[in-house]
Amino acid sequence: MHPEEPKYRYNPQPEPEKPYVKTFIEGENSFSNTISHLLKKPLSVIHSIDENKGVRWMPIFVMTILSLTLFGFIVGSFRGATEQMWLAPLKIVGGVLFSSLICLPSLYIFCCVGGLDKKFSTILGIQSCTMAITSLLLIGFSPVIWLFSSSSDSLSFFGFLCIAIWLVCLFMGLKFLTKTGKAFGMTHTKHLYLWAGIFTLVTLQMPTTLRPIIGQSEKGKILELDEKKFFLQHWTEELSKQQDRNREDSMY
Amino acid sequence: MPRLLSRLTEIFSSIPALCRGDHALIDHWMRQSPVFILCRTLPLIILGCGSYGLSMGLWRGWEMASYAGIKFPLVVIATLAVNALINGMFAMVLGSGITMRQSIQFLFTAFAIFALILGALSPITIGMALQGPLEEGPDARTFHSITLLTHVFMISYAGIVSHSMLLGALKKYAHTKIAGIQTFFAWLVGNLFVGAQIGWIARPFFGSPGNDIQFLRDDKFSSSFYESVFNSFQNILF
Repeated sequence: MHPEEPKYRYNPQPEPEKPYVKTFIEGENSFSNTISHLLKKPLSVIHSIDENKGVRWMPIFVMTILSLTLFGFIVGSFRGATEQMWLAPLKIVGGVLFSSLICLPSLYIFCCVGGLDKKFSTILGIQSCTMAITSLLLIGFSPVIWLFSSSSDSLSFFGFLCIAIWLVCLFMGLKFLTKTGKAFGMTHTKHLYLWAGIFTLVTLQMPTTLRPIIGQSEKGKILELDEKKFFLQHWTEELSKQQDRNREDSMY
Repeated sequence: MPRLLSRLTEIFSSIPALCRGDHALIDHWMRQSPVFILCRTLPLIILGCGSYGLSMGLWRGWEMASYAGIKFPLVVIATLAVNALINGMFAMVLGSGITMRQSIQFLFTAFAIFALILGALSPITIGMALQGPLEEGPDARTFHSITLLTHVFMISYAGIVSHSMLLGALKKYAHTKIAGIQTFFAWLVGNLFVGAQIGWIARPFFGSPGNDIQFLRDDKFSSSFYESVFNSFQNILF
């Protein structure tokens, strides 16, 4: 028995969290500088937009459209020089914009429910930056997508690869969204996580609704809007078709 | 000529420090231009991976050896080129504080270490190939399998060692340790994913017994590495 042994354990008080310091875009207000800040310090872009520091929406929006168009062009070139080369960019740009548009009201409401006190235009800005980061990363992946599109004939493999890459890029974009929520003083960020899940589902459903994007329709149609399908059902069917094709190939 | 000799001497004198992952050398290299790094790492990648590639194909003769010796460094360079943009973007988005230029420099440095390790192992693998049984002999299939496993083991070992040195340097450069680790894993996964496919397109390297000796296969663009792995699993399971 040690008489000196204390009867209680002393836990040192945890260090207080450092106060959040707002950062703004440094340097000249050029397009390349905005893009660089969007990747390195995305919060500085949103603060600059929120406090009218001369950063404009239009270049970010145009950059998103251009990036998605390029991504769509590479995806559409899977079957070579077909009509999909112009249809795929159109469908991808349209699908992403439409998904963002239909999810914007819920993002605003979820932000308010989470305790965020910001204007609708700021929420629109946050979502635009989220999509801009996602589309920029898609450009980064475009050499990888091109490599696989030129070295594989399997529609389902290429489709899954594109979806996997989309999910990785979207994850990065949504990470920025939740970070922004916290930085702006959101008290319950779990609402944002829920919204992120819903938005992901919407963007996964959109390519199925706007199919065919990668290959060509068996019925020769540009859109198959009359045949409604859930994306999981569609991809399961595609996978089983691919399995049948593989079996047939292995028989000969 | 004397300038070239002095540059070569400089490259070779930096090899021990590079193998140790010396922070002073990496710091110095990171402050230089990409051309400076390329001038120092590309010769090492070409020599190291080239000599190792040569040893991979040597069992099937000098023609296959020369093909593999040319292709292996090209696979490494092509992997770096395809992934350069996304690796740089990952470094920025993950908050590592590493610029696009530095990310390329880091990866070339890591692959130079990779090439040095393989280059140093190539005399052993050359000896192994020269001691192999005849292609038509009864033990050819077994020897081919042993060679394949040996090369997979050695390439994996070189990859792990070179990238672990990169991790040490990345942690030092990144704003936070976690950002450094996240960037490292993003690069590693990306390089493995793309490297496997480029290697698949560039086959044959070993030349299976009975197959023709070719620079590239006729069906090089007809499938992907991952499809073939998936199909193999499917054949085993169903």
